[in-house]
Amino acid sequence: MSPFRWLDERLDLRGAKRDLLDREVPARLTWWHTLGSATLTVFLVQVITGTTLATYYSPSPDHAYDSVRYITEHVASGTLLRGIHHWGASAMVILIVAHMIRVFSVGAYKYPREVNWLLGVGLFLVVLGFSFTGYLLPWDQKAYWATAVGTNIAGTTPFIGGALVALLRGGSELGAATLARFYAFHALWLPLLLTVIVSLHLITVIRQGIAARPHALEVGAPPRTSDAAYPAYYREAYAATKRGGMRFWPDILGKDAIVSASVVLLIVLLAVLFGAPLEAPADPTDTSYVPRPEWYFLPIYQLLKLVPGSLESLVAVGVPTALLFAMLALPFFDRGSTRNLLHRPVALAGLVLLLGGSGYLIGAAGPAPESPPLEGPPLSSVQRAGRALYQSQQCGGCHRVAGQGGEEGPDLTGVGLRHSPGWLHSFMESPSRFHAESRMPAYAPPALSHQEIEELAQYLTTLRGRGDQKAEFYDTFPPPRRP
Amino acid sequence: MTGAAGGMVQSGRRAFLKWATAVGGALSGLLAGVPALRAFLSPTFRHERQEKWISLGEAGAFDLDTPVKVDFVDSANDAWVETRRLRNVWVYTEDGERFTVYNGRCTHLGCNYFFDDTEKVFRCPCHTGYFDIKTGNVLGGPPPRALDVLEVKVSDDGVLQARYEDYRLGVPEKTQV
Repeated sequence: MSPFRWLDERLDLRGAKRDLLDREVPARLTWWHTLGSATLTVFLVQVITGTTLATYYSPSPDHAYDSVRYITEHVASGTLLRGIHHWGASAMVILIVAHMIRVFSVGAYKYPREVNWLLGVGLFLVVLGFSFTGYLLPWDQKAYWATAVGTNIAGTTPFIGGALVALLRGGSELGAATLARFYAFHALWLPLLLTVIVSLHLITVIRQGIAARPHALEVGAPPRTSDAAYPAYYREAYAATKRGGMRFWPDILGKDAIVSASVVLLIVLLAVLFGAPLEAPADPTDTSYVPRPEWYFLPIYQLLKLVPGSLESLVAVGVPTALLFAMLALPFFDRGSTRNLLHRPVALAGLVLLLGGSGYLIGAAGPAPESPPLEGPPLSSVQRAGRALYQSQQCGGCHRVAGQGGEEGPDLTGVGLRHSPGWLHSFMESPSRFHAESRMPAYAPPALSHQEIEELAQYLTTLRGRGDQKAEFYDTFPPPRRP
Repeated sequence: MTGAAGGMVQSGRRAFLKWATAVGGALSGLLAGVPALRAFLSPTFRHERQEKWISLGEAGAFDLDTPVKVDFVDSANDAWVETRRLRNVWVYTEDGERFTVYNGRCTHLGCNYFFDDTEKVFRCPCHTGYFDIKTGNVLGGPPPRALDVLEVKVSDDGVLQARYEDYRLGVPEKTQV
């Protein structure tokens, strides 16, 4: 007896094939129907690459960054693996959103698929959770600061903000406890959750059948899906769509495989060409770093720039929450039996507005800056006093800082990297001692007091360019004045 | 599509889609699976060793005909963590010119052996292995091979150096780990 027959006798493999692969599906399904399976394929790719990365990753602030470096530098195919996981994350967000748009456009969330739509919304949230938690794991500057901002946004939630931040961070500050819990969620909880919901999602698809083209379910339909006659109508109309003799395998699965393989190929290509970014190690003391979230969080990030501060928490927390409730409520409020998007003006307008708005905001956020723009750490009171003097004494009339100011004197951008405060103090007292030809006025008392000169010098030391360079003073003092 | 021609087109389409399922599935699996497998198996075929020459002391200062144990701190890259371990070697010279340096681990199971002054042998305390101090050969006990002899050189300024290397334990062949 062959092994297949042996198993078949016990497990009814033929029956399983008949129910799963040979099941009849609606005729004329489009290529857009492959988006769900492509998302699932990319999830499997993420599982394969992620579990392998986890074998070399250490979720502790002391070692996280070094272990990621180790993966790229010492593990065979390590760079490629990180690249695939990185681009796979983006692909997954794109695919799941595209899949949702497809479902939305053909009204497939309507009767009888309301539950599966809710499961899908759950999957969408889990995927965003993956993105948010995975972003922190490399423990580089980008990871640290983007997560700092992300958790701070959660902190603006009314009433429960403080508790929410503590819950996300595992403490009041972003640190070891945060990394450990983000890792636990990213690598343990969320995969488990996703697997369970995906299973329910697929079981539901198999039980309910793949959604048919909208047109086939609109002809002669009662106006609303809540009408008593609708279920009977639907059963009949849906059964009719299956009479084309199309089977799940190979008619659907073949297309699924073609699209999935193309997507995976594209991800690997992007991974080979661009790899995955890794910036300098996280430095909690570097306050000059300007964080930026991953691109799919950019709409909300950019939106915050457009609203006045008083409304910020409302927008930061309110808009995503409102969108979530809208998605959850959608199948229960939208009960018209029309499924074609073009015949549903409100739905069409909503979709265009949402996609257009998100697209506009991503565009407005612009490409990531090559390097953080000029912006210093918060100034001390002495430095602030110095900055006020810089303005009141019209230093900017002759000197430039970061492209602003006159051109008569030397550019002071990065002067804090070149000179110590002591040297700057002496220079401002009497520039001609240092350079005989200097046309800068001497600010020694009584022009400015020593206190004021020192404040100015302290302010100048904060002008350190982009903040990632090391100061290297070359102070040369003139010979001491002869008495 | 109807009729025989339609049926043939249909069956051709089906055959193609069946083929696509197999090829597409395999391709997706391989594209993600191969790098993952390579990375996972990486330690079995990627050996990154840096040459580690250690200084053992002035060559002229070693006792003649009596082995001397030299301890040193080995700072090793343990994956992404730098660790420090105390290691030791035994130096033997008959004439102060030709030196034999032994890895300080017994070739049986890696215990630190010592010099038995009365019997003039190396003796391992764990399972009573005996080694000859001149050649490192096994004189008795369970060790499967002679002590591991390290490559030595004397630098220009007269310092004895050895290239430290650990070998697989418990096997008759001297193979690097």
